Amino acid sequence: MITDRITSFLGVAPLLLLVAVGLSIMLIDAFSKDRSGLALTTAMSLFAAAAISGAIAVRGDLVAPAQITRYLAVDQLGLFFDVVICAGAGLSALLAGGYLKEHGLERGEFYVLLIFTAFGAMVLARAVDLLSIFLGLETMSLGAYALVAYRRTSARAVEGAVKYFLLGSFAAAILLFGSALLYGATGHTDLAGIRDAVGSGAADPVLTILALVMILVSLAFKVGAVPFHMWVPDSYEGAVTPVTTFMSVAVKAAAFAVLVRVLAGAFGDEVSMDLFTGWTPVIVILAVVTMAWGNLAALAQSSVKRMLAYSSVAHAGYVLVGLAATYELGPTAVSAVLYYVAAYTVSNVLAFGSLVLMGSKGKEAVSYEDLAGAGRRHPAAAAPFVVGVLSLLGMPPTAGFFGKYYVFSAAVQAGMTWLAVLGVLASAVGAYYYLKVIVYLFMREPAEDAPIAVPMRSYYVAAALLLSGYYVLRMGVTPGRYLDFAISAATTFLG
Amino acid sequence: MGIGAYLALASVLFGIGAVGFLTRRNMLIQLMSIELMLNSANVLLLAFNRAYPGNHDGQVFAFFVIAVAAAEAAVGLAIVIAYYRVRKTIETDRATLLRY
Amino acid sequence: MTGAGATLFVVTAIFAIIGALITVAARRPLRAAMGLLVHIVSLAGMFLTLNAHLLAALQLLVYAGAIVVLFVFVIMLIGPEAETGPIEGRLVSRSTAGALTLAVFLVVATSVGGFDAAWIAVDADFGTVEGLGLAIYRNALVPFELISITLLVAIIGAIAIARSPTE
Repeated sequence: MITDRITSFLGVAPLLLLVAVGLSIMLIDAFSKDRSGLALTTAMSLFAAAAISGAIAVRGDLVAPAQITRYLAVDQLGLFFDVVICAGAGLSALLAGGYLKEHGLERGEFYVLLIFTAFGAMVLARAVDLLSIFLGLETMSLGAYALVAYRRTSARAVEGAVKYFLLGSFAAAILLFGSALLYGATGHTDLAGIRDAVGSGAADPVLTILALVMILVSLAFKVGAVPFHMWVPDSYEGAVTPVTTFMSVAVKAAAFAVLVRVLAGAFGDEVSMDLFTGWTPVIVILAVVTMAWGNLAALAQSSVKRMLAYSSVAHAGYVLVGLAATYELGPTAVSAVLYYVAAYTVSNVLAFGSLVLMGSKGKEAVSYEDLAGAGRRHPAAAAPFVVGVLSLLGMPPTAGFFGKYYVFSAAVQAGMTWLAVLGVLASAVGAYYYLKVIVYLFMREPAEDAPIAVPMRSYYVAAALLLSGYYVLRMGVTPGRYLDFAISAATTFLG
Repeated sequence: MGIGAYLALASVLFGIGAVGFLTRRNMLIQLMSIELMLNSANVLLLAFNRAYPGNHDGQVFAFFVIAVAAAEAAVGLAIVIAYYRVRKTIETDRATLLRY
Repeated sequence: MTGAGATLFVVTAIFAIIGALITVAARRPLRAAMGLLVHIVSLAGMFLTLNAHLLAALQLLVYAGAIVVLFVFVIMLIGPEAETGPIEGRLVSRSTAGALTLAVFLVVATSVGGFDAAWIAVDADFGTVEGLGLAIYRNALVPFELISITLLVAIIGAIAIARSPTE
């Protein structure tokens, strides 16, 4: 039956939808000079993909031909990340619709690249084979390099792209060599086969450990964990702000997805996870240095955009705390990681989106000084900024509070109370630079001769802020629904 | 002589590529060093596939690596050109605009 | 592996290492690209000893034929500015590089013994155009579709970045 054939692809419908939309936009852009609807089309398609993923997850139509599931998982975990990535990308597209128009940068290829990069991120988040991990990572990364270099006449953008590209490709080469070693050690490229070979002790131990180290290093690059974070502040600052938003939410979420799949999936046996001989201590150390350095470096910044870049490094550290607790708690810890990633996505869109809103043509808001007094002159424009930074800080009743709560309580339950205490201390350091934004917004006046920032007027940016603001508060007041999705994704993945 | 010789050769080539990437400051040569690293991984994949000849997994992987290397070179060289247009240099040591 | 295969391996291995060394040590990028070409061609020869006939051909076509040419093209476009000193890195990255290489080499070298397996006989179609082609189009259909998107992203990205700044 033809309908059976079609419904048997339901599990990958979000991916197919994005490819279709991306190709259509390329065609439309080739024949039409009118670009006013592109941002809205892109955003609506991405939201539709997110909605479809959510619907599939609720209905449980986890079907796809075996040829697909061999390379791309059709499971709750993949669908969870579909929703997060598509929502993050869609909100970034809305921000771009306002930002690019205001600054005279709008070109059709931006939205095509955004869609295909989101596609790469979704492939990466679903990848269950070393080959599809590599391909997803490269699709996502190549798109992201091009997006960072999008404002190609700006020295800062191109410099950020050069640093991102060189270090990113270096990391990809390390990942590839590690994957090849893992194939040699186990004789398999699929994560399930690797898991069996590693768990049964059939794998060559030296090669396996070397492969795991190389894969961990390259994925730590991709999530921006210290000491592999040097590209983060430069490329985040160089890119146009909607791209920075997209990278800090969708690209980072996909990198965490593959980290979960590789570590808790392929290396999820007791020996590989052990607190002394496995990967857990490595993740603990990464989490500690990432939280500490990310927060301290953010303190020293005078640019709000660069501060948010370092804060995204710090947040990667909090997520790693949850991952470190997996060896003891299993699904509970993974669900905390998932919830954190989702909460961070909406909070970060809100913060970066407010930064976009605060600037207008010829005067982009970048530094703290640019924000001085803006809150008193334009309270409506400053309100989302306040909610966004409070959520990043982890204040109730926002999404960020429950994100931090679940992650740290997972660490405590796993017997790593000291790690949770360190995390809370690091967040307290974060309070200084997050609250500094609010202080500048409401309690400072701009210097005498400084140009006064005027917020832009854009329905797109307003819509992105309303949507992300709504979900920041919704996930902060009634987290149950979203946590349930995270728990079912984590349980079906590990159970 | 067996598969081990290929393994040793691949790790030497990977090492040469990594040293080139980390010590050179010329973007083009850094990019070529990355190509060396991808090539060394291909040697590994093919050698391991020769050790597990039941299927073509390693060779299929290497096939896609070659395609990805081409894509990466295209984007990388485009970024180098854009950088050269703006800054009139291709040395990463002079890429110091973005510091605090 | 004995006789002709072993000889071919040793010869191609020596040339591959020489080519790689030229690439990373050359002062002029054009000479580095020539080193890369030597490296790639010798690896293509080496792939024959591993029963990878189709990949040996692709290595020549795509790597030597497309990627190296692309590099040479860009070197010509940039001109004399592309030239720099030989090893310009700072001490920190140089020692990191040395340590990293040494570590990788030592660990892999120690495990070589475990992998010095005898050469298993392979099927007649192993690595041939037919054998690998069937493996790609039957089993690896999804990666094949994915790579088309990867290449599409690379094309759009490269055009978007490298287009002349005035447009």
